[in-house]
Amino acid sequence: MPLTRNRIRIAMALSGWVALGATQLPAATPARWIPVLLFVCFGPGFALLYPQPDMLRPGARLEALALAAPLSLSLGALVSTSLFLVKGFSSTAFLVSLAAFATAASAFPGLPLPAATRGAVERPRRR
Amino acid sequence: MQQRVPAPATGSSELPPESGASEEGESERVSKRGLPDLIEAQILFTWLPLVLATALWLYALPHIDYRHMGDWGLLDQLPAAFFLSLVVLTAGFVVSLRRAGTAPWWPGLYSVALLFALKAPTAILYDSVRYPWASKHDAVVTHLLVNQELRPGTPLSGNMAAYDQWPGFFTLNSALVRAFGVQTTQSYLNWAALFYGVILIPVLVLVYRTFAEDWRLVWTGVWIFEVANWVGQDYFSPQGLALILHLSVLAVVLRHFVRPGSAGDLRSRAHLDPAAASVPPPTTARQRAVCVVILAPLIAAINFTHQLTPVMLCVSLFALNLTRRYRNPGLLVVTGLIMLVWDLTMGRPLFVETLDSLKESAGNLLNNSRAGYAGELTGPGPVLQGRADIVMVLAVAALAAFAVLTRRKLLKSALPLLLVSIAPVPMFAINDYGGEMLFRVYLFGLPGAAFFAAAALVPAPGGAREPGYFGVAPVVRRRISAVALPAVLLALVAGFLPAYYGKERMYYTPPAETALVTKVIDAAPRDSLILAATGSFPMALHRYDQLEHWFFVEQALPDNIRMLKDPAGFLEPGLPKDGRPAFVLLTHTQDVYTAGEGLLPAGGFAELTSKLSASPRFRVIDRNEYGTVLRYQPPTTPLR
Repeated sequence: MPLTRNRIRIAMALSGWVALGATQLPAATPARWIPVLLFVCFGPGFALLYPQPDMLRPGARLEALALAAPLSLSLGALVSTSLFLVKGFSSTAFLVSLAAFATAASAFPGLPLPAATRGAVERPRRR
Repeated sequence: MQQRVPAPATGSSELPPESGASEEGESERVSKRGLPDLIEAQILFTWLPLVLATALWLYALPHIDYRHMGDWGLLDQLPAAFFLSLVVLTAGFVVSLRRAGTAPWWPGLYSVALLFALKAPTAILYDSVRYPWASKHDAVVTHLLVNQELRPGTPLSGNMAAYDQWPGFFTLNSALVRAFGVQTTQSYLNWAALFYGVILIPVLVLVYRTFAEDWRLVWTGVWIFEVANWVGQDYFSPQGLALILHLSVLAVVLRHFVRPGSAGDLRSRAHLDPAAASVPPPTTARQRAVCVVILAPLIAAINFTHQLTPVMLCVSLFALNLTRRYRNPGLLVVTGLIMLVWDLTMGRPLFVETLDSLKESAGNLLNNSRAGYAGELTGPGPVLQGRADIVMVLAVAALAAFAVLTRRKLLKSALPLLLVSIAPVPMFAINDYGGEMLFRVYLFGLPGAAFFAAAALVPAPGGAREPGYFGVAPVVRRRISAVALPAVLLALVAGFLPAYYGKERMYYTPPAETALVTKVIDAAPRDSLILAATGSFPMALHRYDQLEHWFFVEQALPDNIRMLKDPAGFLEPGLPKDGRPAFVLLTHTQDVYTAGEGLLPAGGFAELTSKLSASPRFRVIDRNEYGTVLRYQPPTTPLR
């Protein structure tokens, strides 16, 4: 299991940089826009939610699946708006910010949403 | 098609089983399943309808003649195979519900297929932007990319500065345009409804699973949400994104903000509806505080993105605070503060203006609940769409009301969902939101309404002793449901088509018209005035930060009838006297829109075009079969 988790962490950590690399491909080609779209829509959210210390409860898995895109899009909107506000907007700055964020987030355990960390329903908390 | 709907094998797992001993056994069985298993009746009727519906739909697709839509919009251009594919899809969905307890991915797959079946044709087929006002949002992205900065304080014609004040959706798309390497968002914006739909389904499932353990109820709720979501707010727009973020915040709140000791007797299954899920476990104050921090970016993004959604979120959270279970004033205060900070800084100009206008609009229920402008829908397609809209609202509301009355135990445990759905209704009392408040309130209320409407159709599993069904025996109830469920789902799918595609002729923007408008606006000198009957035409707001606009037919019909007597005389007092050029663009899409929305009488648009073309004050400078472009000749200019 740790091996699988580490693979997922590494995939999360690299996903943004792969998307950034894809922007060097010819404009509007699927090989360019698909990795970018997937990363912007899911990368940062999954990096935040997924790597949990224990196996995710089924409810938490559904939660991670459902919230990954809204969280990612929120972070994307916050980053792009901030870049415009500081007059530093470029797609490179946008993707580098999100990729760095995803890399950092994947190094830490996932967000401590109670469903993900509690264990079985109503199980006493570990001390 | 009648389907028996037996009680599902509900389990306690939240997801389609992927782990655990029994689930592994199931997946092994699936992997070892051979051809004889696949043609076993129950399994055959689960996957075969999906294949058949897909084949019919793919066959129908090239036969949809969207370029020659008439009075009925897209309705009479849809081939029989398209309708048949929806019937087969609905039948397959109902059959798949029989196995929803052990294989919830099947109704899930059907729900995604329904989304594509209903909304993908226009995305795949159209050779131009669907919805003229989607091209307005494309213009905002282009404006940001040209300026490379936000100018929230710079006043712009037609309140367009609001998009610099709530720019989250547009800045995000600016980044995507550059990263994809495309010229504008027009390359992908027709796919927005599908994108939003795919992202929204898991969020909706998350919300529904919080209150229902029965997967049949969950997926029927999702299905009803999809067919009742005819309201057309899921186009390339900030509100489409903001709704998903809004529901995501509510999902986290509903699952993680239960106060300790507040669930009372709902902790006992004996007090729960057989289909209901247990109340989520309570969280400590510290855990809830951490969740507020986790939610803060989502709440901030909603505020960055859209004006109305944060208000709806505050109203929904306030409604939740009325319950013992979800009394979390801290979260409400944080949400309110984030909204206030944004409204008083970036959004200040429009916020102050809106506060001023509230004095007039507050309490004017009749006006605030009007749909669109003052005209009456005209023509078979628009009239049918208007009626279908009303019937769909009433049908979903009636089903939801029936469940609220008959499934008291479910109501008790899912009351928070009902509260957040009806919380936006009082917004009618405050503001009309440009004639769109009706649609927005409906959209925000729809998730809860669809859930309860599904509860009216899907009987409680093993609910033999469940009281409150007007004394109807469980066996009879199940038999009624076996007929009612497929019949109502099919009726709702049928209702969706006129409700969504009846006005389609207003929404399709012919490429030749787009090219004509783009050419004129590209060539217009800075500060020119662009006149048009309505703003509902492609590229209407292209270069909007450099030009002024006057959409002079967007007023009540009697005013337009007066205007039609002498259009040039009506316009002239409002035209620039300082030498700035003024162009009048009268196009096909405007003609369709003003006729369908009842802004002009029959033949009014042609009369307007011919009278202005004949006026010595206007000169025709361009014309094709999709439009006429005129230039104003001020009195000081010698007539040519």
